[in-house]
Amino acid sequence: MSTNQPVLEIKNLKKYFEGNTDIVDMIMRREPPQIQAVDGVSMTLEENESVAVIGESGCGKSTLLRTLIGLHDISAGDIVYKGTPVSEFDKADWKEYRRNVQVIFQDPFNSLNPKMTVRESLAEPLDIHGIGNKEERVREVLEQVELQPAEKYLNRKPTNLSGGEKQRVSIGRALILDPDVILADEPVSMLDVSTQAAVLTKMKELISDFDVSMIYISHDLSTVSYIAETVKVMYLGRFVESAPTKRLLEDPKHPYTEALVSAIPVPDPTYDRERTEMSGAPRDPIDIGEGCRFRDRCPEVIPPDDIDIDQQAYREVMSFREFLEREEVGLERIEKIVEVNERSALVDAIQREYFDHELTGKNESTLRSALTSLADGNEDLAIERLRERFESVCETTPPEVEAEPEWHVACHHHTGTDRRTVAGGGGTNATDDSGSDATGSVAHAENQ
Amino acid sequence: MSDPLLEVDDLTVQYETDSGMLTATSNASFTISEGEFFGLAGESGSGKSTLAKAIIGGLDDNGQISSGTIKYRGEEIQDLSDTELSQRIRWKEISWIPQGAMSSLDPLQRVSEQALEIGNVHTDLTDEEIRDKLKETFDIVGLQESRIDDYPHQFSGGMQQRAIIALALFLEPELVIADEPTTALDVIMQDQIFKYLDRLKDELDVSLLLITHDISVIFESCDSVAIMHASQIAERGTTDAVHANPRHPYAFMFKEAFPDIREPKRELEVIEGHPPELMGDVDFCSFADRCPWAAPECRAGAPPTESVGDDDPSHMTACVRKEEAYEMYQSDTSPSDDGGGAQSIARMGEVD
Repeated sequence: MSTNQPVLEIKNLKKYFEGNTDIVDMIMRREPPQIQAVDGVSMTLEENESVAVIGESGCGKSTLLRTLIGLHDISAGDIVYKGTPVSEFDKADWKEYRRNVQVIFQDPFNSLNPKMTVRESLAEPLDIHGIGNKEERVREVLEQVELQPAEKYLNRKPTNLSGGEKQRVSIGRALILDPDVILADEPVSMLDVSTQAAVLTKMKELISDFDVSMIYISHDLSTVSYIAETVKVMYLGRFVESAPTKRLLEDPKHPYTEALVSAIPVPDPTYDRERTEMSGAPRDPIDIGEGCRFRDRCPEVIPPDDIDIDQQAYREVMSFREFLEREEVGLERIEKIVEVNERSALVDAIQREYFDHELTGKNESTLRSALTSLADGNEDLAIERLRERFESVCETTPPEVEAEPEWHVACHHHTGTDRRTVAGGGGTNATDDSGSDATGSVAHAENQ
Repeated sequence: MSDPLLEVDDLTVQYETDSGMLTATSNASFTISEGEFFGLAGESGSGKSTLAKAIIGGLDDNGQISSGTIKYRGEEIQDLSDTELSQRIRWKEISWIPQGAMSSLDPLQRVSEQALEIGNVHTDLTDEEIRDKLKETFDIVGLQESRIDDYPHQFSGGMQQRAIIALALFLEPELVIADEPTTALDVIMQDQIFKYLDRLKDELDVSLLLITHDISVIFESCDSVAIMHASQIAERGTTDAVHANPRHPYAFMFKEAFPDIREPKRELEVIEGHPPELMGDVDFCSFADRCPWAAPECRAGAPPTESVGDDDPSHMTACVRKEEAYEMYQSDTSPSDDGGGAQSIARMGEVD
């Protein structure tokens, strides 16, 4: 690392989208739901560094990239390029920025203009930025991305190139303006495995040869070690873990990273890998509050200190309340199945439908009384009863700790016990109505 | 795992195109036994999907089986009419999990209605029997029986995928063909789906033909594998044998091209170019133009499929230079050789 300032600093960046509203919402003048696609992301990119951002589809990684190149407005936070925040950019600064921050897109089959030859595609950015010596520069770049001899490729159109060759042209196009930063969005995911390695190796080489920094975005942890020294794992708009690549792959700390790493197939019939126990898919990033992003799928979610409960049983109670809060409990369907029109029968049916694990004592009676409220049609009371007893520390406070130097994990399992107890004690303090849940816990977090 | 369930013998499938007969599958042979999970691997353009479509008579209008046989339980089925296939084979004997399975449920029909449609076409079962069978299968794939009357949108993505598996299984087929069932899915979802596919093996004794470009999932889930390159089966055998002892250059290069999370810094193999489109008879090794060890004899005739001669009698390969090539490859990539990486990179320029 040089002593210079970082090339790119991302400071608590947020990008929210407005969700759909229907006519009723408009009449009632309800605010449209905010989709928290990128929700408070911070990172720095040093000169000549390559950082990978890894996550499942829908985690916000592509939104992050589009926000970085100015395709989306910033909702909050800032991006600082070599000391100047983009919020202070004038038109000339933007042009300069766009020249120095280049993108390689996911799909080489659609990201090149089919009507342009390789020469034209590569020369276009030079035209736009008024750089001379075009022919020389184009040939030089073709050589760098190993499309040789240049004559063979210069006059071809994309249809006459293989996937790997197209992606090399895209890389060349990104490099031709001699940028400081390359943002790569799943650059090899559309390529056959036989060429993936070649393209990755080439990109890696170019980063070190040309003093370029890179943010590499991908869903694929298995190839990330070939391209980046640092990995940031993203889930629902936030980084949940950030560490040096090799160490993260060997010993993932966040339960989500663990699940991601453990779900990667190993090409070896003699190796007996355990399949992931995790189920479901990420929820929609709407109204997720300030708690841990992964809490609704986490296999290790932390129960309040003062209750004694089996992890899987607790998981079910938590999920059930999440369903209730998102109005996803299919009460009508269950009512249809139960033919006897009796409250206790309905309560039994709900319990059978959503709970496989047995609860005991106070846990059981709390659940039953909540389900009874639900059967009576009082969802809010049901939620409140469940929340009062079962609310987890994972729901209330945003965890973010440095587990080891250069290793950040956003998980209460890796915080000191002190902090956990404090947060846990505050957790039962949620008597507000369900609607103000998010703001309530923000305020709560700030109080600490 | 005993009697052969499906025997594909010397099968050639061609498509009629403006520029002549395009050969998608050339003299391919393999056998799937009862209860066996069989993987068919290869890059895009290798002909693996064509092969699977040929088995259930689902080729496009311009496609035809030019020669060879497909036997199901000893009976030749390649010449059966569409009606016969529908009445006797499809779904109750051989069912299908399509590529892009996530979008293959009809959004306007309840899952149970889709099952009834399938059941009414392919069996004489009553509606009630069909519903019961669907309920049983829902249970196996980890869905609540009460949800068979839900619409697809009421399921999450992973549950939809399981509903599709249930639809492929509820008529108790002997063989399920799954064409890239998890491609384009996130790893966690992929892992969940394979968890349920694994379970089928234990609980239903069903056979699976898994078609995928991802050899990692085949090595994990299948008993046997065939590796296909541009219409030809390059190598086949048990996954253990093919993994431990690959002989065809395409087989070992393809295998080594896959990253392994246990060795994050291992040099990945690079195979130049892409599978060629082949017109007319394929009377040469289709890998010859991409093979670093190709010799004139590779282009002189289609390589015969021969036993590798290891512990696995089913382990066969179609390479005339199988011994030399493997030895040269091994000496090139031995751990002491630091030039392995440089060599891979040097080979990177692609040939068209």
